[in-house]
Amino acid sequence: MQRRDRGIAQSLGLLLTKCVKESRVLLVGAGGIGCEVLKNLVCCGFGSLSGTASSKKPGIVVIDLDTIDLSNLNRQFLFRKRHIKKPKAFVAKETASQFNPSVDIDAHHASIFDSQYNVEFFETFDLVFNALDNLAARRHVNRMCLAANVPLIESGTTGFNGQVQAIKKRVTECYDCNPKPVQKTFPICTIRIWAKSYLLPELFGTSEEESADVAVTEGDSADELAKLKEEAEALKNVRRMMGKSEFAQEVFNKVFHDDIERLRSMTEMWQSRKAPEALSFEGLKAGSETEIIEHGRTLAEQDQAVWSVQDDLAVFTYSLDTLSNRCLTGEKVIEFDKDDKDTLDFVASAANLRSHIFDIPLHSEWEIKQMAGNIIPAIATSNALTASLCVMEGFKILRSQLGSVGGKEEATLGGAKMVFLNSRSTERMITTQTLAPPKADCPVCSPVYAKLRLRNGEGGKATLQELVDLLKEKVGYDEFAITTEAGIIYDPDLEDNLEKPLKDYVTHGNGFITVSDEGDEAKVDLVLSTVAHSGEDAELQLLPDSIMLPYKPKRESPAETNGHAKEIRATPEVVAAPTTTSSAGAKRKREADEEAESVKKRVMASKSEVHVVDDDGAILLDDD
Amino acid sequence: MAVTDADVPPPLLDIPKAKEKKYDRQLRLWGIGGQIALEEAHILLINSGSGVTGVEMLKNLVLPGIGHFTILDSAVVSEADLGVSFFLEDASLGRFRAAETVRLLMELNPGVQGHAITEPLETFITKDNAFSPYNLVVAAAPIDASILERIRTHSQILHVPAFYFHSVGYLSSFSLLLPPAFPIVDTHPDSTATTDLRLLRPWPALSQFAKEKTAGLEDGTISAPDKAHIPWACLLLHYLEQWKKQHDGKVPSTYKEKSEFRTLVRAADPNEENFEEAYAAVLKTLNPPTASSAVREIFAAPEAQQLHAASPAFWLIAKAVAQFYAKHEQLPLPGAVPDMKAQSADYIALQNIYKSKARDDCAEVVASVRELEKQTGRSPKQAVDEKEIENFCKGAAHIHLVRGRPFQIAHAGQAITFGDRAKAMAMELTMPESLIGLHVAFLAWDEYVATHSTPASEGGGVGLKVPGSGADDFGTDTQRVTGIAQKIVDCLIKEAGTFVEDPEYSETKNRVGNFCMEIVRAGGGELHNIASLTGGLLAQEVIKVITRQYIPVDNTCLFDGVASRTQVLRI
Repeated sequence: MQRRDRGIAQSLGLLLTKCVKESRVLLVGAGGIGCEVLKNLVCCGFGSLSGTASSKKPGIVVIDLDTIDLSNLNRQFLFRKRHIKKPKAFVAKETASQFNPSVDIDAHHASIFDSQYNVEFFETFDLVFNALDNLAARRHVNRMCLAANVPLIESGTTGFNGQVQAIKKRVTECYDCNPKPVQKTFPICTIRIWAKSYLLPELFGTSEEESADVAVTEGDSADELAKLKEEAEALKNVRRMMGKSEFAQEVFNKVFHDDIERLRSMTEMWQSRKAPEALSFEGLKAGSETEIIEHGRTLAEQDQAVWSVQDDLAVFTYSLDTLSNRCLTGEKVIEFDKDDKDTLDFVASAANLRSHIFDIPLHSEWEIKQMAGNIIPAIATSNALTASLCVMEGFKILRSQLGSVGGKEEATLGGAKMVFLNSRSTERMITTQTLAPPKADCPVCSPVYAKLRLRNGEGGKATLQELVDLLKEKVGYDEFAITTEAGIIYDPDLEDNLEKPLKDYVTHGNGFITVSDEGDEAKVDLVLSTVAHSGEDAELQLLPDSIMLPYKPKRESPAETNGHAKEIRATPEVVAAPTTTSSAGAKRKREADEEAESVKKRVMASKSEVHVVDDDGAILLDDD
Repeated sequence: MAVTDADVPPPLLDIPKAKEKKYDRQLRLWGIGGQIALEEAHILLINSGSGVTGVEMLKNLVLPGIGHFTILDSAVVSEADLGVSFFLEDASLGRFRAAETVRLLMELNPGVQGHAITEPLETFITKDNAFSPYNLVVAAAPIDASILERIRTHSQILHVPAFYFHSVGYLSSFSLLLPPAFPIVDTHPDSTATTDLRLLRPWPALSQFAKEKTAGLEDGTISAPDKAHIPWACLLLHYLEQWKKQHDGKVPSTYKEKSEFRTLVRAADPNEENFEEAYAAVLKTLNPPTASSAVREIFAAPEAQQLHAASPAFWLIAKAVAQFYAKHEQLPLPGAVPDMKAQSADYIALQNIYKSKARDDCAEVVASVRELEKQTGRSPKQAVDEKEIENFCKGAAHIHLVRGRPFQIAHAGQAITFGDRAKAMAMELTMPESLIGLHVAFLAWDEYVATHSTPASEGGGVGLKVPGSGADDFGTDTQRVTGIAQKIVDCLIKEAGTFVEDPEYSETKNRVGNFCMEIVRAGGGELHNIASLTGGLLAQEVIKVITRQYIPVDNTCLFDGVASRTQVLRI
């Protein structure tokens, strides 16, 4: 044995050390936790003897889509300043390889959703580590690991907190067995939402056509609606002036004067509360336009200060100028991005101007960034702790695969636990919970997973009918439905698609086909992962060749799958702003995930409540 | 340098842009004030053994931008070091471990200054003021007991916080020695714990506002939308007035009364959301504004009672707040208002009422502080910053004081005492889930090292021998360490003046014995992920101590990697 292994071998014992070295692991994500996990993996010898001499495969594969940003450097220690804008996966590999040249790391700068990462890819690993920052990818990897029957170690951190969960099909709960914890949302963000999701898109977004759909809701008079449409129309007219020197003044007077005066004129709204005070560009401005822009540029650097109204006007003018220039030099659509300083300047100054009008406290840009951009605090220590715990769970899982060691009775997954980190606490920093068994009605892990092999990845000329026949023959279905990402493609009442080629609906890669039994005594769902084969075999093939499905356990109501965006119309929140509640009251259901970034921005109003679907994924909905 | 003096709050806007962006994600936790404290700190790591844990800790401090760090380590890089430490490379072989590690750590953050001292520990420690450049000292086991003794003494004299840690195989622990008075204002309590609306003791402006908002509620002349938007705080104030009329002017105080009151509120309107919010808030918010016993202990502390011209600002403000509390029977109002269903304008008006009262309360405390400054003859240059007073007033209900305790040191052939903690720790011994057995095992491990090593004067760190490190001594060393541990257990039980009967006694010894076997088996070797984790825990506590934010471990943290859990014990 090399002397380098002394520490590891002594602690793990020879058997487990060998197992660790011969293992093959996949690390999804090379960010905060990912960097730390990778360091732990190479320092503990994972994958250093993976594969046989004849077919040597890289022991560690790391996949990450992201590139390095300055704000990563306070914790993602494999990266340096010179690496900014380079792919995380490549740099992580380069830095980590220097430590242990005997570990072969394969780095992919790619999305885990790519079709190359299909179920057969996942099957080549002994362990998968999730070090991701978004819900969609976490769910996807969870599903792929279930399909491939590979143990998954899922982890996440927020500020001082962290969590590690070991997942193994049929043994433990999967990632989707439980609803996800709710992240802090900012219910009092209507003003910022207005700036970010109405004003900015109206001026620089795709809104030429119809982004500002006005919702017809109870209690809105037809008059009021007409006025709103008129308002949005007027803003479009202003937008056409972009590039002209009076653009800033026009926009300003439109949204901070004319619109406010119109609101103010509705006297019945202001009987029991303070009416808004309109602002005028002329009345506020100090100096020439160039001077204002210069002043705004300087102020925009001071994002910890709370700007005065005049300051806000300057930053507003400056950011409008910058954004207009970008727009006129070819950027068709400018969307809010917390790291796009120009859009942040715009949203912060516009939100503050509007807050001033409604006599609401002003905030610094730095604070607004957190509220509008859904920034999650992140520190080195939590990542280090969480990643170390991940690898510890990894040891336990590998040990459980060795079978009973030393005659001891083996606990679930070698004693793996759900581990919680709360380093803010001074008493209970790291605590555990026993891993729960899978939920019988979990829509993700309760189905049986199998493979559907398609010749050349598309099944040639095979039709949906052939798949239906195959399922009837091999699984014994009678009445059943087939669902793909496109929706339901077949059920007993939907036979229109039967003659169509299967390749219209499925692609090989990492897509899933769900088959659900519609019979009276239903069997559990069958989920097929599609994979390609190029042999001489049949166009379509089930793997395993025939499948016995158990019956579904009895349950009260069918579980819903998550992830379907709610249908919500958008409307400017102008009417609702002054009458909004400042509540995240008990009846409101907040559905949010840490970082789901893909949900589109929508704002909806009904009655006098504001319902917000923020683009950070925070959804506030009335329950009743 | 001691950190007990009043720190001057930093200017807020001086932090350069790029730096702010780099540290953005952590600034959102500990703010500019915490960041500046971190950047002004200099931490000393006294490293030994395989040395990974301390380095991992430094990694977690270099990344967020600690000002300076120094590694004191005279070891030379060996092949085994390369296998377990990430911050060494092949070319490091045969060079000083401290210098190589410092070089590689500094690559992580160009803003951080690292220093290596390769002088032997036993000569370094004999110098006067050896610790004066440092804000904090962290010492790794194994270490010569007499040197650890000196570190402890230095720490106590200079009020420099000191950490002492072990990391062996799957197990680790650390103890933290803080100054005798370590107060924390910015404890970052859970946001749910900070709501303080003083509904049982409303002041005229608040009562008046509630009255206006609830006008017409009883005779039904209020419009439905207005009723649905009465802030729940106003609803509770309204119904409290009614309750008082029916209960001789008394407010609901027992659980039974509060439940009754809650039902009454809910019955007033079973449908509206604001009534439901009011109902839900009753038990949490209808509490008399008395200070917790921890806060009252701080008020009564000798440091607050015997102020002098050079008293730290904390104690001056504590005294002023104590005076406030004595006079008003409540702490200064924090002034924050939680989210509630309301018209925006009403919500803002309510916020302003609370803010304005908070400002008045704070102004009164400021006046008292100024008076105390005069009385104690404090120089105007040392005047307590108003921002600091304001901060104190806001968090007054959650201020915390840690009384530092010296960590235990195991000498060869000397009994280990637990002092005033003996009773509690003896009790702890019998708890099946307790990790105190691990603490005892590490004490035994230390005593083994003290017994089997060459004295510092002869060989220093090089002569330290840890159990299980020889080729064939696993069996005998396990016996030896277990033997020492059992002696410690017996001494502790005796010191506590209690008696532990079987089967508890055998079970206790079994648990301790298992930990002993485990740490001997690892032979002093570190497992990288456990070292990394322990380094994370250590760094976390170092940051808490340096920034004076959040409450640090008091005073020993034990980690069992197999069970993946920690326990904190005050020893």
